[in-house]
Amino acid sequence: MSKILMKGNEAIGEAAIRAGCLNYFAYPITPQSEVAEYLSRRMPEVGGVFLQGESEVAVSYMIFGAAACGERVFTTSSSPGISLMSEGISYIAGAQCPAVFVNIMRGGPGLGGILPSQADYLQATKGIGHGDFRMLVLAPASVQEAVEMVMMAFPLAEKYRNPVMILGDGLIGQMMEPVEFHDDLKVAPSNKDDWATNGMDTRGSDRRNLVKSLYLDPEELNAHNLHLKAKYEQMAREDVRYEAYNTDGDYEALIVSYGTMSRVCRTAIDMLKQEGVEVGMIRPQTVFPYPETAVREAAEKKSCKKVFAIEMNMGQMLEDVQRAVCGLRPVEWFGKCGGEVPTPEEVIDVVRPA
Amino acid sequence: MDITLEGIVIIVGDFGSGKTEVAINLAVYRRQAGCDVRIADLDLVNPYFRTREARRQLTGCGIGVAIPPEKYLQADLPILIPEIGGLIRQPAQLTILDVGGGEAGATVLAALYDALRHHEVTMLQVINPFRPYTSTVEGCRKVQRRIEAAAKAPITGFIGNANLMEETTVEDIYSGHDFVRRLADESGLSLAFITADVRLRPRIDAGRLSCPLLPITRQLVPPWKKAAAFGASAPRGARLQTGGV
Repeated sequence: MSKILMKGNEAIGEAAIRAGCLNYFAYPITPQSEVAEYLSRRMPEVGGVFLQGESEVAVSYMIFGAAACGERVFTTSSSPGISLMSEGISYIAGAQCPAVFVNIMRGGPGLGGILPSQADYLQATKGIGHGDFRMLVLAPASVQEAVEMVMMAFPLAEKYRNPVMILGDGLIGQMMEPVEFHDDLKVAPSNKDDWATNGMDTRGSDRRNLVKSLYLDPEELNAHNLHLKAKYEQMAREDVRYEAYNTDGDYEALIVSYGTMSRVCRTAIDMLKQEGVEVGMIRPQTVFPYPETAVREAAEKKSCKKVFAIEMNMGQMLEDVQRAVCGLRPVEWFGKCGGEVPTPEEVIDVVRPA
Repeated sequence: MDITLEGIVIIVGDFGSGKTEVAINLAVYRRQAGCDVRIADLDLVNPYFRTREARRQLTGCGIGVAIPPEKYLQADLPILIPEIGGLIRQPAQLTILDVGGGEAGATVLAALYDALRHHEVTMLQVINPFRPYTSTVEGCRKVQRRIEAAAKAPITGFIGNANLMEETTVEDIYSGHDFVRRLADESGLSLAFITADVRLRPRIDAGRLSCPLLPITRQLVPPWKKAAAFGASAPRGARLQTGGV
């Protein structure tokens, strides 16, 4: 299929449809409202459903209900809205239902501002809701990658029976880029008859499926948590994704950056190369599970003197980079909040060797 | 053929058709031709990539820019500043109103109906056939009808803005031109001009086109790219020559 020009938010909506998801529940918030705008027009054309909830809390339970029935379902929101959904996400993770959440991040805390940010990294990767659970979190750096990650997110959510989050900053939602949709990324749901409340007649079974997050027996709840833990360990073994840039030869410094921030870093690396200064980059595409082996190995290269975590927040991924590098190299942070995206020149000033 | 637009020119179109980039470049193009130009940011629906983002480049070219006050520039509030009414009542030689996308964006024009009805206005719909919903003549006509209903005013012509950003080829410009020509002919409306990135322009055969061509120097770029400077010092004839037979 040929390329078309799409705004990130529209492309995310279209990608979900192309992945076979015909259920979308959402509540508008800048800078992701165009997903709802687009799908309010598009879902009826393909026989799908878009329902605007009365709040993000309601939306998260609409997602839970549809997911429990074995339906592919997703929502999109931005930072404050995602916070409101966190309770429902915890229930969904506890009940082991697959669902896809897209967070087009804006600046915070509180209402913050509407400009691009990566301020929800810790929330997404460490603990979005109460209880002991993780989400698989994908961080796209382009509109095309956002499309591919949305299409991958549904089978990943089903593989692990766990919520998957697309963590994009405001630019991912608002910028326009040419995209194409690869239908081979559409993978049919595989395991839902084993667990979903999709009707005994539907699946030709005489066994009831029960979806719940309530475990009153302490031994049972401990076993349940151990099972969840094993899933997160499997994610770390099987589904870590990252991209290495300019790391084949020697480099004096290593940048670790994700999302659109990594594109600013890429421009900075290209500009430094013209000055004869080599800088490498690891760009995590999954921020949970984190590509810690890739970061450590790239930092360990003999020529590499220093590692920089560069992100649009006050140093959230920094902790993961420090953990991965294990003190083998000094790790510094650079970033900005509030929506002002650091420029390539600012990145160069930070990483250029003294 | 040259672009000689004057009076009040309202730029409308579907979401993401490229209205703002066209409006900014049209303003600079006409200013460089010696025209007195003012531009108003009437985009009440988009949070990023608006005319206000290019305010310094525009004022630097001597173009009057009407935008919300600085402290509200990054608010997602639908602010319609009172200066717009004055701008319409006493228009410059060319007054460009850059309106937000689709019928939602065009609704603002109905609010300005009283000010606008005393003037003859040119309302141009920007078309990018590489966008969803405007890749067919019927799709473009549907958008046209929705915008006209919301704006309570008729669209008088089209602007062809076929592009896939950096991936646009000369062939895309030709096929985009042919598409919007067909749209104009079937609607009985004018084709004001088409656009092409300034870097593609030398490779475009002017004889292949039936309307003027506005070269686009992209201003609304993401932070990892640089907006190119408008070539103000270049001799006008050499830089801004338009197509036609």
